[in-house]
Amino acid sequence: MTPEQIAEKADALYHDLDLGRVKQFRDEHPGAKVIGYLPIYAPREVVDAAGMLPVGITGGRGQIEIIRGDAYFQSYICQIPRSTIELALSGRFQLIDGFLFPSTCDVIRNLSGMWRVLFPEKYVRYVDVPQNFDPKVGGKFFRGELGHLRDDLAKLGGRPVTDDDLRRSIVKYNENRSAVSDLFALRNAAPWRALALESYLVLFAGNVLPVEEHTTLIRDYIAAVNASDRPMRDNARVVTIGSFCEQPPLGLIKTLEMAGCYIVWDDMTLSKRWLTQEISTEGDPLTAIAEAFLTHSHSNAVLYEPRREKGDALMDIVRRTKAEGVVFAAPSFCDPALLEQPMLTEALDREQIPWTAFKYSENLGQFQVIREQAGTFADSIKLWSPA
Amino acid sequence: MVITTGVDIGSSAVKVAVLQSPKGSGRERAGTRVLAKVVERNRRRDARQVIELAYDRALSEANLPREKVDYVATTGEGELVEFRTGHFYGMTAHARGAIFLDPAARAALDVGALHARAIKLDARAKVLDYRMTSQCASGTGQFLENIARYLGVTLEEIGTLSQEGKTPEKVSGICAVLAETDVINMVSRGISTANILRGIHESMAAGFAKLLRSSKVEGVVLVTGGLSADTGLAACLNDALHKQGASKLDVRTHPDAIYAGAIGAALWGAYRFEKLAFTPGLADIQKEEHLP
Repeated sequence: MTPEQIAEKADALYHDLDLGRVKQFRDEHPGAKVIGYLPIYAPREVVDAAGMLPVGITGGRGQIEIIRGDAYFQSYICQIPRSTIELALSGRFQLIDGFLFPSTCDVIRNLSGMWRVLFPEKYVRYVDVPQNFDPKVGGKFFRGELGHLRDDLAKLGGRPVTDDDLRRSIVKYNENRSAVSDLFALRNAAPWRALALESYLVLFAGNVLPVEEHTTLIRDYIAAVNASDRPMRDNARVVTIGSFCEQPPLGLIKTLEMAGCYIVWDDMTLSKRWLTQEISTEGDPLTAIAEAFLTHSHSNAVLYEPRREKGDALMDIVRRTKAEGVVFAAPSFCDPALLEQPMLTEALDREQIPWTAFKYSENLGQFQVIREQAGTFADSIKLWSPA
Repeated sequence: MVITTGVDIGSSAVKVAVLQSPKGSGRERAGTRVLAKVVERNRRRDARQVIELAYDRALSEANLPREKVDYVATTGEGELVEFRTGHFYGMTAHARGAIFLDPAARAALDVGALHARAIKLDARAKVLDYRMTSQCASGTGQFLENIARYLGVTLEEIGTLSQEGKTPEKVSGICAVLAETDVINMVSRGISTANILRGIHESMAAGFAKLLRSSKVEGVVLVTGGLSADTGLAACLNDALHKQGASKLDVRTHPDAIYAGAIGAALWGAYRFEKLAFTPGLADIQKEEHLP
């Protein structure tokens, strides 16, 4: 298959708000449960170990008109909870048996409470994560949380979740993480071949595909890209940051590429690569997941990092990817992304790294202004940067 | 020598320029020669076909094969050019083209088929600020082209005819639909073509003068883009600036100003070609040995 064909397949999954692939899973695995999770971090290994399909809930992707969803939120709240409520109330989540609400922000946390009221028949869990990174304190706490989740899912699925089940799932997700990491390395080395939009769609497919199938899709895409012959263009290498929760519309990614930017790194699919390294398959598997969270979490706006200056991680990424500039693309009203931005821009200014910033919502349909901004930003990097 | 091409894909025409500049001439590209320049109107044809046609014509005029071109730079709807090396945003390209055509220029007024932009620039062609017309098509090339068709005059005749108009009729400067209705009424009232065109030019010029004033440009303004050859518009623009108290602005035209975007893109392309070739850091990251 060509990269275009693989991206087309992933694009069909992206646009299917009725979760056809999830229905297929249920048909293929009678009695198996499906667990939805909101952005960003959810311990998918535990869900998979319980013989269930973890499904990423990523909002309406600009494809639905939000009528009922707006009634639940004030005007200063971002778009993703509105479209998530709209999807649920329109019956599109009927295939999903339970929902995990990660500790991302107040909006997602409050959504878990609303879910309990609106859908009392569904399993709902707020996934709390440690704020203390001492293994004896935060590690112990998170191990306990994961234990509760395992017990809940065992009860829901009607069978125990053994340590061996967990280890098998950890191996599968480690393989997936390795494939994702290779895809990012390829994008960084040859962004003219592994296009940002295609890569995004391929990673996004992991929201509905069983993990083994998703790993195969990524590997197939990498092989197809390596076999392809695409011309290298003189574009500016940029990192985009701020899109870790509510996802940008595809048109925005396309607009950035068309405006002359190679996106060599982004945080758009952070829920698929929260952990930067493998989880150990030795010892107690839940302790291993908890330790991986404490030691290998990707630095981001919602992670509490008392020992690190804000901006250090971004500067590491800029250096590692040899990026020439940074684009802050954050959803409107996204507190974590927007509150972090001044600290990150300060770090970039210190190192004289050019940056630009704009806001979006998942249902944005007009990209002319962003195209102008990104186009002039790319030009300024290419023509006026000291490098 | 560095050979570069600039392809400016507009909504009504494709412009191509072929340039030759001395190696090592930096951003300034002193000694650059325009080897060929071609404009091909779209005339409802497939855009990619028009681009290929214009590009081949330009290279043939320059007597060069494709493989001799070091950098193909696009501006406008550049994604339609599969063989491009790099793309530059319209303002960046027009600013560079304006400085090339008139080194005294400190602003460019790019009047295209669908919009107009006032671009403030410095002597190095760096864009300092800009203002753009709103999305309405009134006061742009496409609107004028439609009116010319209704009136049965060619685009080349518009400028001369407009300057013959002594008692211009006022035309709506806000909405293309209303303006077209105004023109139909004028024709039925027996208003002369010259006065109708003059009225349209005055309406457009008033809008452009406001645009230039709001962008706080100073000194020489070069009109670029599809309407740059319209002498009637330039005359009205000078009048409008005088009326609005901005007579210190020196509005100029240039016979090649329609190619400003293409020339500008080709000049930036030459600069980038050398920068990529001689900057080790940039060259390194484009080597495929980094592939996993």
